[in-house]
Amino acid sequence: MSPMSAGQAVQAGFKNIRVYLDGEPAWRKAGYPTYAGYGFICQGNNVIVDLRSAEKDAVARIPRSVSMPFATFADVMDEIPVKAPVVLYSDKEDEMLAALKMLRENGYKKVSLVEDGYRGWKHLGGRLVKGPVVTEVNWKRKLAPGEVSIAEFEAAMEDPSKAIILDVRTIEEVKVGKLPMSRHIPLDQLCSRMDEFFATIDGMSKDQDIYVHCTTGARAEMAYKELQKNGYKNAKYLVAEVSCELDDCDIEE
Amino acid sequence: MQKMLVRLLPFLVVAVFGLSGCVQPDSQFGSAAKPVAVAKKVTGPVFKGRVVGKSMKAKTISVQVGKGKKAHAVLIKFDQNTDGIEHANKGHGVIVSYEKQGKDFYAKSIRPKLAKMPKGTSIIQTADLKKMIDNKEDFVLIDSRPAARYSQSHLPGAISIPVCEMQELMGLLPKDLDAALVFYCGGPT
Repeated sequence: MSPMSAGQAVQAGFKNIRVYLDGEPAWRKAGYPTYAGYGFICQGNNVIVDLRSAEKDAVARIPRSVSMPFATFADVMDEIPVKAPVVLYSDKEDEMLAALKMLRENGYKKVSLVEDGYRGWKHLGGRLVKGPVVTEVNWKRKLAPGEVSIAEFEAAMEDPSKAIILDVRTIEEVKVGKLPMSRHIPLDQLCSRMDEFFATIDGMSKDQDIYVHCTTGARAEMAYKELQKNGYKNAKYLVAEVSCELDDCDIEE
Repeated sequence: MQKMLVRLLPFLVVAVFGLSGCVQPDSQFGSAAKPVAVAKKVTGPVFKGRVVGKSMKAKTISVQVGKGKKAHAVLIKFDQNTDGIEHANKGHGVIVSYEKQGKDFYAKSIRPKLAKMPKGTSIIQTADLKKMIDNKEDFVLIDSRPAARYSQSHLPGAISIPVCEMQELMGLLPKDLDAALVFYCGGPT
């Protein structure tokens, strides 16, 4: 995208143009902070963390903030789901940077800061709220197009008439355990054997609801796209940690 | 007649941009800013596109190929003989040299697809950009990604001009054409 924008700036007559081709991911990987925009702070599907003391938080905070004072942040940060986008703020720059580093080192990929922290927010004229502190993280991921919720998936496990549950893990993984009612085809065979495979299922049609799972959701998403491409328009995929032993499986966010 | 065309050219270019949207950012710079990077030659069939999925367990990558309505993902297998699997990262552009085995595609080699740079621009690395920001140099940093991505996480001091809205938001850029601009997005795609 950036080379194209740069090309348009060339067209407009700008003469001093550079492109940071490695972009935002490289900036993050180098350990440098990134910042959240106003709209995302106000309304994003995220966790807003106030690193200041609980006393300060109670007096004035950014709406929806969860209070996690920096002194104890290391002990409580794992209450934040690792997949949640997180926005941190404090009135001390070094605390924000340290908390950002801790989260990123622990696998949080979407962490950003409020620019210039609490002071920056006030300076922007951002809304503040007061009242008893909130310490409980209450975040639910919004489903992406084609995703099935864990609840819907589990309902289909109870009632097989709801959907075909399709396991696309490897043969080795399935040997360790699988969902009792699921059908299995490894992802790498799905493309070449899709029609042959579905032909073995009674009453199968292209309108059939199909819920695909693997161990994390990565392969399930690929399988979902293949199914869609081949006209199985009611296929969906599960993004969740699925681990099985015999016919006992754990499904976790 | 030729003169006429030359005078019309900027307008034609604008028209092309207006229509092209942002589906294939690396292929349409208009005629005055020709791509300069030349891809190395490969023999045999290739898929060019963006990696949309990768599974080390299934040894499969999925690559989005084609433009507009024809865009679709292909599933490609790889194994220990596949060259350059480290280049297959989600979101990155790749050129996959493959062979067909039955109905399946096998990747022989995977190379990064480098973005084509418009003439008159140069690339800046992380360390140099960091220096410019730390030294508070006078320049405008522009995030070309969709506004939602900017809002979730952007570089310090960056402004948001999504590539598709460049024409409408050109007014956000300085009036001085000698002003230093740095554009970035979500990585080399």
